[in-house]
Parts: sequence; structure tokens; C-alpha cells
Amino acid sequence: MIHLSTFLTVLAMLAVTYATRIGGYLFLRDRTISPRLQAVMETAPGCILISVIAPHFATSNPADLAALAVTLLCATRLSMLPTVIIAIVAAGLFRHLM
Amino acid sequence: MSSIDPTLDTIPPSPVLRGIKDALPMMLGFVPFAFVLGAQAAQKGLSPVEVPMLTGFNFAGGSEFAAVALWSSPPHLLLIVAVTLLINSRHLLMGAAMVPFFKGQPLRKVLPALFFLCDEVWALALAEGRRTGRVDLRYYAGAAGSLYLTWVSCTAIGALIGPVLGDITRFGFDMAFPAVFLVMLAGMWKGARAAFPWLVALIAAVLACIFLPGAWYVPAGTLAGLLTAYLMARPE
Repeated sequence: MIHLSTFLTVLAMLAVTYATRIGGYLFLRDRTISPRLQAVMETAPGCILISVIAPHFATSNPADLAALAVTLLCATRLSMLPTVIIAIVAAGLFRHLM
Repeated sequence: MSSIDPTLDTIPPSPVLRGIKDALPMMLGFVPFAFVLGAQAAQKGLSPVEVPMLTGFNFAGGSEFAAVALWSSPPHLLLIVAVTLLINSRHLLMGAAMVPFFKGQPLRKVLPALFFLCDEVWALALAEGRRTGRVDLRYYAGAAGSLYLTWVSCTAIGALIGPVLGDITRFGFDMAFPAVFLVMLAGMWKGARAAFPWLVALIAAVLACIFLPGAWYVPAGTLAGLLTAYLMARPE
């Protein structure tokens, strides 16, 4: 049920993925960083988050864009669980109706 | 015995349970993606044992979707590893952002914890760190453990039953992912000026989505945003 080539590929993926996870931590652990670098680091999480979800913004499907707008509005006002539920319902509904 | 003890109400909830509770909305978002990934992997010829091996060893959904999309028999190891590295390179910054919150914790605990640092676990840990100044590893274990088990088990289920499910994104479940991330961004909001690099990142990533193949949009957006932040910050 497990092919050798699959096992080796997955193992190689494990190695690079884990390296990225500990690499940044180990590199910065014992260093003091400049205020400018600190400002960049503070912006980094938001930049990554928004880049990862960029494909959702890159659509021309009006139903998806409408659902995204509803989600964006909820995200600025509500907490996590209600926002997620409204987002799912809005996407399902708009795709069905539009 | 102690059920009438009035102090019982004031005992804080277990950090592990708190982590699981905070991870619940993300688990909701994981399930449909895991089913889709498992189903796609099965279609590419991966067995129901190989699928949880792939997701359990990596626990990085984006790279797993890319790997499955590129999968052939036998797989192109170097191509898949290069794409995995590219997509997961953001973990370097995410791990670095965790440094202040893991301060004083021994490496023998932090290094295993970092194995579970996917986008969602990181975002939860970051929010917890901003709230309390540090990340309790018990809280981290609750959040990471529950998300890990959800992801790996649901990809395995997807590999088994996926072929009969069809396309489940039509029910809107895929919108859970951007919803989770947008709530997090709202929590990090520090005014329009501070958020300007995010806007640059979004525009660059969307352009990369449209004009570049594959997952280049993640490094493209992130680098554009970081460069903007660097230029906006005054050198000392």
C-alpha cells in the first residue's frame, strides 16, 4: 500500500517543511534586531495572511466577490465563529442564487 | 465533594481545553479542504495509507495540494520538494515571529512544537501571545493537536469516500478559510498607515495569482508587503 517513491517524496517534503518551521526561529532566537527590522517583522504576519488568501480576491465570480464582501464586513465587527458561519452560508447562498 | 466550593467558579479553564476551543472554527474550515485533498490524492493513485502519511508528515495544506496537483507515478521528487520549499518558505517568518512568545522555554519542547506550525496554529499562537505576552505550550498543544488530528484523519476519510462526494465547495465551505484569516487581520489592525503594506501585499499577490502559475502569489505578495514596510520604517 506504500510505494517506495511515494515514501521518499513525502520524506523529502517533511525535511524541507520542518526546516522552514525551525529555521526562522533558530536564526532569530539569540539575536537583537534593529527597530527597522522589528517594524518589518511586525508587518510580516499580516502580509503573509493576506497573500495566502489572495486567490479568493483574484476571482471574477460575482457570487464569490459578494460573499467575500460580506465576510470582510463581518470580520471587522464580529468574532471568529459567527464570521466563519456567516461566510460559509453567504458563499453557499450567493453561489446558488447568482 | 468540592462542588459547592465557591472558588470553583474562579478556577481558570485548562489551557489545553482553551486551545481546543479556540481552534474549533478552524477545524470547521479544515474538514471540507481535507476531504477535497484526500479525494484528489486518491484520484492521483495515492492509497488511503499514503494520503495520511503525506498530510501527517507535512501538515502544511498548501504544499500538499500543490504536491498532489503535480503528482505522477512515480512522483518527480525534486520538483515537488522545490515547490514545497517555495510554498512553505513563509514558515521562516512565522517561526521568527514566535521568538518573543517562546522565550524561556527549552528547545526540546519548542522544536517538537514547531513541527505543528501551520498557518492556523501559528495565527492562534500569535493571537494568544499578543493577549498574554507568551504562549503557554499546553494551550499550543491543545490547539495544534486538535487541528492536526482533524486534518490528518479527514484527509484519510477523503481518500476513502472522496470519489463519491463530488464537489463540496459549492456549499460554500471554502469561504471559511479567508473568513478565519480576515478576522485575524482585523485583530491585528493598528490603523490605516500600519496596514498599508498589507494592501500592497494583497495587490501584488492578486496580480501574481492572475499572471503567474502555481503558488508564486505567496512569496510575491509577502515580499512586496515587507519591502513596503521596510521603506516606510525610518532608518535610525
